[in-house]
This record gives sequence, C-alpha cells and structure tokens, in this order.
Amino acid sequence: MIAAAAFYLFAAILIASAVMVVTSRNPVHSVLFLILAFFNASALFLIAGAEFLAMILVIVYVGAVAVLFLFVVMMLDVDFARLREGFQRYAPLGAVIGGILFLELVLVLGTWSFADLAEDLRLSPNPGGDVTNAEALGRILYTDYVYLFQASGLVLLVAMIGAIVLTHRSRPGTRRQDIAAQVARAGSVNLRQVPLGAGLKTLGIERPPLPEEPKPAVTHDAGHEGHH
Amino acid sequence: MTQPLLAEYFPILVFLAIAGGIALAMVGGSLLVARQKPYAEKLSAYECGFEPFDDTRRRFDVRFYLVAILFIIFDLEVAFLFPWAVALGDIGWFGFLSMIAFLTVLTAGFVYEWRKGALDWE
Repeated sequence: MIAAAAFYLFAAILIASAVMVVTSRNPVHSVLFLILAFFNASALFLIAGAEFLAMILVIVYVGAVAVLFLFVVMMLDVDFARLREGFQRYAPLGAVIGGILFLELVLVLGTWSFADLAEDLRLSPNPGGDVTNAEALGRILYTDYVYLFQASGLVLLVAMIGAIVLTHRSRPGTRRQDIAAQVARAGSVNLRQVPLGAGLKTLGIERPPLPEEPKPAVTHDAGHEGHH
Repeated sequence: MTQPLLAEYFPILVFLAIAGGIALAMVGGSLLVARQKPYAEKLSAYECGFEPFDDTRRRFDVRFYLVAILFIIFDLEVAFLFPWAVALGDIGWFGFLSMIAFLTVLTAGFVYEWRKGALDWE
C-alpha cells in the first residue's frame, strides 16, 4: 500500500518536473527540474527493486551528467528568446508529429501482450532471495557479457580521447607549473646554518642598506586617541 | 511491503515526508503569518548595488567542459567497480582479469590525457 502510494507520488512529481523541463523559460531552471526528475526516477527504480541502478542514477546522472548539462547551457550562449521566435509558426506541425507518435505508442501498447513462456526464457533470470542487486549484476556482467563490458571500456576510452582532441589545445603564451623542474632546482637558493643570537652584520651576510625613512609627522594629540 | 528491500528504505521515505512537511510549514507559515507589504523599491538594487550590466550567462572556457567530461568517464569507471567488488567471490579469476583488462584500457587513456596536459591548468 505504502509502496503504491510512493510510486504514484514519485511518478507524479517525475512527470510534472519533466513537463517543467520542456516548458520553463530559463534553461538553467530546465536543468534543475531535470535533476529533480532524475531523483524521482531513481526512487521509481528503487520501488521496482533495482537498487543498484537507482544509486547509479543518482551518482552518475545527478552528479555528473546534470552538471555537464549546466556547463553546456552556460557555454552555448544561445539567445533563447530568439530561438522561440518561430514557435507559433511551427507549433501545428510539431503538434501533428507529436500526435502521430502518441497514436503509434497507444496502438503498440494496446495490442502488447506477454507471451506465456517469456519469463522462463530469460537468459539471466532474477536470482531473487537474498542476492543483492549489485551482486546479481556483477555475477554476469564481467563473465557472461565480457565482450560488451570490454566494449564499454573502449567506448569510454574513445570518449576520453575525443574530448581531449576536440577541446584541448596548448596555449603557447602561457606558463604552466613544472613540478619536476621546481623540485630539481638547486644553486640559486642557499640554506645556511645560522648560529643563535648572531645578527646579519656579525655573519657578514651582505644586504643593501636600508634607505633612511623620514618619520611621519605626529599630528595627533595624545589625548585624542580615546575618541577613536 | 512486498519486498524486504523496500522496508529498509522506509525510514528514508519518512525523512522525505518530514523534510517536505517542514519546508512547506516554513514557507507557508511565513506566507500566512507575516505581514506582506510588497512594493517595487524592495526589489530594487539597494544603495551601493547597481543594475547588472548584461546577462550573467556568458561563454565559459571550454576547459571546464573538458574537466567535467573527464570526470564523468572516471565516474562511470568507478560505477563498474561496485558490482565487481561485491561479486568478486563468485566470478573467479576470469572476472578479475576482465576487470583488469578494462582498467588497463582506461589507464592507457589516463596516461594519454596526463601526458597531453589535459589535467594541467595553466
């Protein structure tokens, strides 16, 4: 009962925030509503029993992807008022396309039915019982699906190299920290053992004489200080 | 409660309800109880402040984006490590070595980005 109530609550918030993502005028607000939608989707995953996916959704999507979206929104520098100019003109066409897609979805879902044996035909059935979600994933992901796993590693590698190639450029004019040179530097800085109580003059360390500073004229009376 | 998993998360639901209730009570209480006398000057920039010269959203340096995307990649790598660590007792040497191969591929990328200077901030 509580689970059903929580499901309807989170689903309602999810759909409402998804609508706000599309309709809000400020794109930064859109991204923030997207983060709210991610949180609610993760709660739905939790209710469905996919504990690990729920946590990954929070860690990866909220922690990283949404931040990246924020960067993109800030970087693009798009005049969003100008983007919306043609809205009135294109709205009917968009509504027609959306209506057709919706109709197709209704037709698909209306005639969808599970085969009787579908549950038994699953390649890796839910182990159930006391096996946690992450463990059930881990048992098959690294052995049965090793090729897909390695392929995902290669995809990550390609993404890394692609991001560096596309966005990284060395700026010739700027100076960067060279830690090795910093540590290996010697000769120009000397460390001296200084005996206690000895001044610079007795040690003979050369130092330019201090210029004679003119003393600032004292204008305030001694009794004046109480007022400050 | 049909699943024992959900029973463990019930305290979090209670916390969510309490947090939402307190937030609603604070905003709603100040809305209902406090005196409301809105006028335009209350929203204007006060004395030393000034109106903003232009839009806050201006082009960021693309390097922020690079740092964020590199963070996502290693975030995903660590996400793969969680089920592996939990199930390591069941998957044997093959599972262990498959993760080592995965990490080797990503370490090659890491060395590449290190040598390329993508992690430096000049």
